[in-house]
Amino acid sequence: MSEIVNKIVIETKQLTKQYETQKSVAKLNIHVRQGRIYGLLGRNGAGKTTTMKMLLGLTQPTSGEVAIWGKPLSGNEKKLLPRIGSLIESPGFYPNLTGTENLRIFAALRGLKNQNAIQSALELVGLPYRDKKLFSQYSLGMKQRLAIALAVMHDPELLILDEPINGLDPIGIAEVRSFIRALCDERGKTILISSHILSEVALLADDIGIIDHGVLLEEESFADLEAKSSKYVHFTVSDTNRAAEILRDIFHETQFSTQDGHNLRMDSTRVPVAKIVSAFVQQGLEVSEIATVEESLEDYFKRVTGGEGIA
Amino acid sequence: MLKLISCELAKLKRKKFIPFVILSAFMFPPPVALMMLTPRMMERYDTKAEFFDDFYQFVLGYGVELLLPCVIGVIAAMLFFMERDNDTFKNLRTIPVTSTQMIFAKIIVLFLFGLIFSLSSAIAAILCGSLIAEVGGLGYKLWLAVELGVFVTAGTLPLVMLVVFFSKTYIFSILLCIFYSVLSLTAEGCYEVMPRFLCWLMPIPLTNLWCAGDMVLHGTRKSVGQLQYLVPTTTQTVLILGVMSVLSVLLIDYLYKKRGDD
Repeated sequence: MSEIVNKIVIETKQLTKQYETQKSVAKLNIHVRQGRIYGLLGRNGAGKTTTMKMLLGLTQPTSGEVAIWGKPLSGNEKKLLPRIGSLIESPGFYPNLTGTENLRIFAALRGLKNQNAIQSALELVGLPYRDKKLFSQYSLGMKQRLAIALAVMHDPELLILDEPINGLDPIGIAEVRSFIRALCDERGKTILISSHILSEVALLADDIGIIDHGVLLEEESFADLEAKSSKYVHFTVSDTNRAAEILRDIFHETQFSTQDGHNLRMDSTRVPVAKIVSAFVQQGLEVSEIATVEESLEDYFKRVTGGEGIA
Repeated sequence: MLKLISCELAKLKRKKFIPFVILSAFMFPPPVALMMLTPRMMERYDTKAEFFDDFYQFVLGYGVELLLPCVIGVIAAMLFFMERDNDTFKNLRTIPVTSTQMIFAKIIVLFLFGLIFSLSSAIAAILCGSLIAEVGGLGYKLWLAVELGVFVTAGTLPLVMLVVFFSKTYIFSILLCIFYSVLSLTAEGCYEVMPRFLCWLMPIPLTNLWCAGDMVLHGTRKSVGQLQYLVPTTTQTVLILGVMSVLSVLLIDYLYKKRGDD
């Protein structure tokens, strides 16, 4: 299992895209592991879409390399691209055709032999098969669903999805999220997903890459991120001076700070909270509130990018 | 490639301009037939067969040589702007379909429409002609329509290249097509004062001169008069149009690739 998990599907080396003098992506080294969901997180204009375009050969890198399944993308497009499903930016379809007709064109060009592929893909995203509605009459959510259907229609091993929940309603978002999770968990697909919505990435991704101004600032698994993220215990007590004395004298704890007369923050989680509370009460202190506070992905994002939140 | 071509045709489904292409092929024969039925025109011909030959030449001259470049230009704008306007280029390239394959498919579709238009014009002319004259040499006339359809479409590829180069709106492309046809028509009216190389450098006048010469060779036209020195052989025509087509396709491919990467 660990061998599968550690197998790299997408690897970029010093991937750079420069438009005139502006670097859209700079020396990017990302590693997407097999059978996992990789969330590429960044603000609008951070370089997520450009990165994904380079991974699909839609735009040529100024320098650096893209390797997919260990093979360089350049020169191996015919072998690699049919194994990938993608959704880049807004859904692109022919407005004068129905959803089924649109998919039929791409299925024919892909040489799909499975007659049910179109119907299955449409059912998977909750769109009707052989509907008479033209693509131009679709709502934004329907268009996005059709684009996802196109990405999965040929049962690819790797999915590259750029902001897949754009335009979806809350129910649609939940549906797409569980559908993407199922693709990974039940069918072993490797998925690279980009988003500027932190909560979505937090709910979906196994691994996270944070990109800002074209630079990859962090790349790690969500589990490692959770282990690394800072935790503290917040106490609201009747007297913080007395509480501080107790922490120092009884528990030999120094990693704490008093914020005012009633609020105390303890950054260490070495001593169990129950023992501390018991000691406080025994020493005659009133404890009105205790909270274990964990750094959220947004806090982490702010810390890493050194700026404001994302969305 | 067959798949690509059938997909290009499928993309045109519900496009109102497409049935119009077929209908427009029937636009010239009836008024030309009426015009030729006037006594002043009728007295020029000794036989009804001669009358039909001239009528057929008129229809092909105006219908195919002048209207077809416009039709091809507009269809080219539809086909070549389709991926840009609908942002479908990315879907095709990730299949992967290369821009060169895409361009070849689109150009073959243009040739198909050229043939359909040209043959429809020929059939319309034959139908109208059978009512007012004596239709003869049907095999050659249909073959001539096929050749003309191919030659005019090939001769319109430089215009298609310009449409792709400017890559503007449909209106601009239509204006460009009209300008191309008017320019060709003007050149056809100035054969006597134009140097031969210029006549041969303009694809539609070149095709027009070849057509006239070919009809003389097959006995469906008496002569081309003083313009005989301008008439190219079939080999020369194929060679000139071939070079123009290849250059145009290479440029279209270059432009399409460049735009795709942008």
